[in-house]
Amino acid sequence: MRKEVWFGLSIMAAVVILVFALMPPPSQMTNGHLGLLMLAMIVVGIMLGFPTAFTLMGMGVFFGWLAYRSVDPALAERQILDLMVQRAFSVMSNDVLIAIPLFVFMGYLVERAALIDRLFKSLHLATARVPGALAVATIVTCAIFATATGIVGAVVTLMGLLAFPAMLKAGYNTKVAAGAVTAGGCLGILIPPSVLLIVYGAVAGVSVVQLYAGAFGPGFMLAGLYIGYVIVLAKLRPDLMPPLPQSERGIALPAFAQKLSPRGRNAFNGLWRALVGGRSSGVASPTVLGQFIVTLVPALVVLAMWGVTWQLATSPEIEASTAGLVQAGGLVAADVKKEDAGLIGGAEDTGVKEPPAEEAKEMAPPAAAQAAKPDSVEKTTAPTVKPDRLPTPTWLWIVLAVAVAALAVLYWLWSWERLEVFKMLLSSFFPLAVLILAVLGSIVLGLATPTEAAAVGALGGLLLAAAYRFVTHLREDQPAGSNMGGTVATTVKELGGIVKESAFLTAKTSAMVCWLFVGSSIFSAAFALLGGQGVVERWVLSLDMTPVQFMILAQLIIFLLGWPLEWTEIIVIFMPIFIPLLPHFGIDPLFFGLLVALNLQTAFLSPPVAMAAFYLKGVAPPHVTLNAIFAGMMPFMGIQVIALILLYIFPDIGLWLPRVLYK
Amino acid sequence: MQKLLIFVDKVSTWVGQAFSWLIVGLTLLISWEVFSRYALDHPHAWAFDVMIMMYGTLFMMAGAYTLAKNGHVRGDVLYGFFPPRLQAGLDLALYILFFIPGVVALLWAGYNYAAESWAIHEGSNITAEGPVVYPFKTIIPVAGAFLLVQGIVEIVRCVICLKDGEWPSREEDVQEVDVDKLKKMVHVEDEDIAKLDEIVSRQEEGRK
Repeated sequence: MRKEVWFGLSIMAAVVILVFALMPPPSQMTNGHLGLLMLAMIVVGIMLGFPTAFTLMGMGVFFGWLAYRSVDPALAERQILDLMVQRAFSVMSNDVLIAIPLFVFMGYLVERAALIDRLFKSLHLATARVPGALAVATIVTCAIFATATGIVGAVVTLMGLLAFPAMLKAGYNTKVAAGAVTAGGCLGILIPPSVLLIVYGAVAGVSVVQLYAGAFGPGFMLAGLYIGYVIVLAKLRPDLMPPLPQSERGIALPAFAQKLSPRGRNAFNGLWRALVGGRSSGVASPTVLGQFIVTLVPALVVLAMWGVTWQLATSPEIEASTAGLVQAGGLVAADVKKEDAGLIGGAEDTGVKEPPAEEAKEMAPPAAAQAAKPDSVEKTTAPTVKPDRLPTPTWLWIVLAVAVAALAVLYWLWSWERLEVFKMLLSSFFPLAVLILAVLGSIVLGLATPTEAAAVGALGGLLLAAAYRFVTHLREDQPAGSNMGGTVATTVKELGGIVKESAFLTAKTSAMVCWLFVGSSIFSAAFALLGGQGVVERWVLSLDMTPVQFMILAQLIIFLLGWPLEWTEIIVIFMPIFIPLLPHFGIDPLFFGLLVALNLQTAFLSPPVAMAAFYLKGVAPPHVTLNAIFAGMMPFMGIQVIALILLYIFPDIGLWLPRVLYK
Repeated sequence: MQKLLIFVDKVSTWVGQAFSWLIVGLTLLISWEVFSRYALDHPHAWAFDVMIMMYGTLFMMAGAYTLAKNGHVRGDVLYGFFPPRLQAGLDLALYILFFIPGVVALLWAGYNYAAESWAIHEGSNITAEGPVVYPFKTIIPVAGAFLLVQGIVEIVRCVICLKDGEWPSREEDVQEVDVDKLKKMVHVEDEDIAKLDEIVSRQEEGRK
């Protein structure tokens, strides 16, 4: 047998012997000691490589039975069975975890949409002038794609097939290229909608919505730091990342652009003149019109967004006043309760809540008049008189001016090549970005629950896959001259295969996560029954640490656990031990969750068990050694540690958005 | 023997895959419910119960399928380095020590739990007048039974491996990271990767 096996086994044996040596003799053993024994056993049990869900389940049942037996041996069996099935059922009917299969399903669908090569190509052309263009494009592609799919293995493999060869061909250093692919591929763990945050939310009882809002800041900060590092490195050491040759930067212009481009460099101007000048340009006018409309898209989007903002900013505050109504009604109901018997009060109370909005409004004025303070009278009675729009605030005009200036610069720079790049982005980058933003926006703004957004996102992923597959087939079939019906039929058939595969993979992944949850909830119930939690708490409190020390220690432990264990196991098994300690130190569980998520990212990049490296090695040329990949990952791991420290020093990076949105 | 093992695998797989279509139904149901609520202003009171039931059934019934495909997460630090016989020995011991008691307890407890629910024709505890809950609770013993059967098959596999010194084969299934399929998706051939190797080795020579 190999050396490392003996090494590992002897460490485990040492742990077991040490635990037994430290335990008091059986006669003095308390339940708390049993709890600690259980914790030590589970670490060894996981290391042995047995499916963790069942290790937890079996151990939980056994130790839970011991705990009940110490109270009342006659009832122990029934009690532990009851506890177990209650725990299992609570996982089955958990309304937070339900979002997991949906997000996973969405991820598999988007992954199979076959849009990543177009995404990478268009981003690479769009960033061609930036130093280290290919590495920057890789990280941006990874950030977007990983966000949508959340599957580290698939993203790293795909980027290893697409971006890694491209970078090597362009003369990039192997290590830098490997680092960009692996570090970028792991971003999906942190940037929402990540499954990790859902699992943490379910374990810690923190709102997933707030976690998502909070993870935006750290996630984009990390991506930004990666990109900044690559750009600075490319500036300082051009030999590591040579700029692209002119031939790679260019893009073939289509026929109409070649005809129009000699007349002027600016595409906006050229198209406008061709449109007004009519046939003299020599290009069919529908083509010109179509291109001109594409050119106008940024302006239209900016205008539309400004319009919506204006609508929201100047609309009279209806929401605020209805909130007032409910409260006022509640006050009335409460008053009634005080005066009369409770029954009538209860009836009043439901009466206020249940009737539709119109009735509530009718009831409102007297209630509001009764309850409202003098200064809020105007506000609460506003809905009864048809309100006018509020005056447009000054900042909105400033925003408009800045946007118009930006658009002017954009159109001034709008060359024919840029038009082509923009069209490519429009067909690859924007659909995905819109899907992600729609899913996340509706969650964070509170329009939909994570579950609903995930389901709609999965449907969107399906449509995206359908559209991309259809266009691909259309392009392949068109030269062959086959009819439309055939293309549709191939697409539908392929789509059926995609849905089937994605559904099966989703079932396996969610079974993996949720069964782990079933196991661990039985385990942690037994741990709490034995009073192990109390022992840990007393011990930690006896160390008399400051919150900073505790935080650093906790993160260090999680970081170390990240080496041998997967993030699912760490969160599901060990978070229930940490989280009850947080209130003692006055730490916000939301903030702690963000730190943990950022921390576990590092685990994916830390050798020797970094999964990302192995996925890349699987598709890299044979001469790229695992050591080279590890060496390439190190600087990015350093950046993650810096990001962790930054987040710790400036918690507002993560907490600002949740505070603004949900106060 | 191998035939029987594969047969049980197939049954678990078939059941798991049949139930995995629930994710498609779940997606469509929630999407429709969202549309119906916001666009048509017509929410359904039962939708939330049904969603939860679909989710719970999906993952519980996929448990045996995942076990048949060796898909449950393991602590893989040392396990991967072990020779097959040691792997099988450890697995066998832990299946008997943890898996069998745990799953039998779940099956037994789930059976009583569901039987009580059937006896009182239990309704939803989330919404008033909601859908009945006893078929959903029945999923616990059913999933436990499938899991137990699959677990016994895995135990037999361990024994075979202990005897032969290598793991008996399993049926193929969809992979999360299927490198060949991904290569096809982005149109990369093995030769392209081989060609790249020259660039890498040239780079390394340049450094020396």
